[in-house]
Amino acid sequence: MSKRPAPKAPPSYLVAEKRRQRTVWTSIVTLAVLLIAGIVGYATYATQRADDITYPKATAPGDNTGFALGAGPVKVDVYTDFMCPGCKNFKDASWPALETMIRENKITVVYHPVAILDHSSQGSKFSTRAAAISACAADSGKFNEFNAAMYAQQPAQGTAGLTNEQMIDMGRGVGLGDDFVKCAEDKKYGNWVREITNTMSERGFRLTPTVTVNGKQLETPSPEKITEAVTAATK
Amino acid sequence: MNSLLSRWSVIQPWLTVAVRLGLAAVWIIAGGNKVGDLDASARAVHAYDLMPFAAAQILGAVLPFLEIALGLLLIVGLATRLVGGVSAVVLVLFVGGIISAWARGLAIDCGCFGGGGALATGQEPEYLGRLLEDTGFLAMAAFLIVFPRGWLALDNWLSDDPQLPRRRVASTETETEESAR
Repeated sequence: MSKRPAPKAPPSYLVAEKRRQRTVWTSIVTLAVLLIAGIVGYATYATQRADDITYPKATAPGDNTGFALGAGPVKVDVYTDFMCPGCKNFKDASWPALETMIRENKITVVYHPVAILDHSSQGSKFSTRAAAISACAADSGKFNEFNAAMYAQQPAQGTAGLTNEQMIDMGRGVGLGDDFVKCAEDKKYGNWVREITNTMSERGFRLTPTVTVNGKQLETPSPEKITEAVTAATK
Repeated sequence: MNSLLSRWSVIQPWLTVAVRLGLAAVWIIAGGNKVGDLDASARAVHAYDLMPFAAAQILGAVLPFLEIALGLLLIVGLATRLVGGVSAVVLVLFVGGIISAWARGLAIDCGCFGGGGALATGQEPEYLGRLLEDTGFLAMAAFLIVFPRGWLALDNWLSDDPQLPRRRVASTETETEESAR
């Protein structure tokens, strides 16, 4: 027995009823807090989405989520992230074969510089910054050159990556001029990068690099597999 | 036996506090990592390939805020049993999602603590580790369902519930009530 004095204790059924009501109200308030949190989440997202997207001038005809290289009949889509090591390997191993097929007018490559690794650059969002600046390079007609320079000096995944200034210098190095510099400094295409990364997800691709030939994803994009698929698509 | 029980009645309320704060940290870190990039959160949901993109966008936007709210509720200790229950339900859904992705052989990043669900080549999906992790969190949520009463909780301030933990004096009484439940 407790030593506490308990004078005038109310009947126990009243106490129980009071307690029950309190539990009900606490539960309602708690669920309301969770519901409100969810609504705030959706509202935040909806407001962010309302942002204006500036599309680069250089996007591919019929697909404003990438840049076209070449004008051949078979369409090859390439999705890469500037920080992804596998994308550099792809670039080194397979790009020469793709360039050859572009020159031979067999394929059109649509290049999508997506940003899936923003969480791997110590908060600097290197993937998005790099992709946005590459869009500026595309507007000035030198996407391929800038892209190659970027992969040649790819920072390790998990580091803060290159600064915007370093990337602008790299652009100057491949012959890009003042328009490019201004575009890069204005951070014009960040929202566009967000949009094309979402589009990649919407199309059901979950890996970088992703390579598709006439819309069909290749499991392992090696030069041989790509050439094979292009030959098959040409027939 | 008696002394063991009375020791438990002293430890349990503090254990509940520890579990509450531990699970709160999990939710707040998980939600906090996602909240800065809701697009990535939506893509992570969509990567499981369980719903159309528009639905994944809604769930992806709602989830981080829900997680943070669960964490805050656990810190203040409001409706601990209910919040433990909601946590358990959410975790069971996560476990289901991971198992289904694994079963279908999807190569995805779980997106559990941020990230957009997409993998870079060379990154391996880590299904087993994530499942074990979630099972641990689920055990914590289950503990809160069974033992919701602990110190430093808003629940105590709101209620004169006789089943609330008391200091040593009342230990015999608490025991009988505890076993009566």
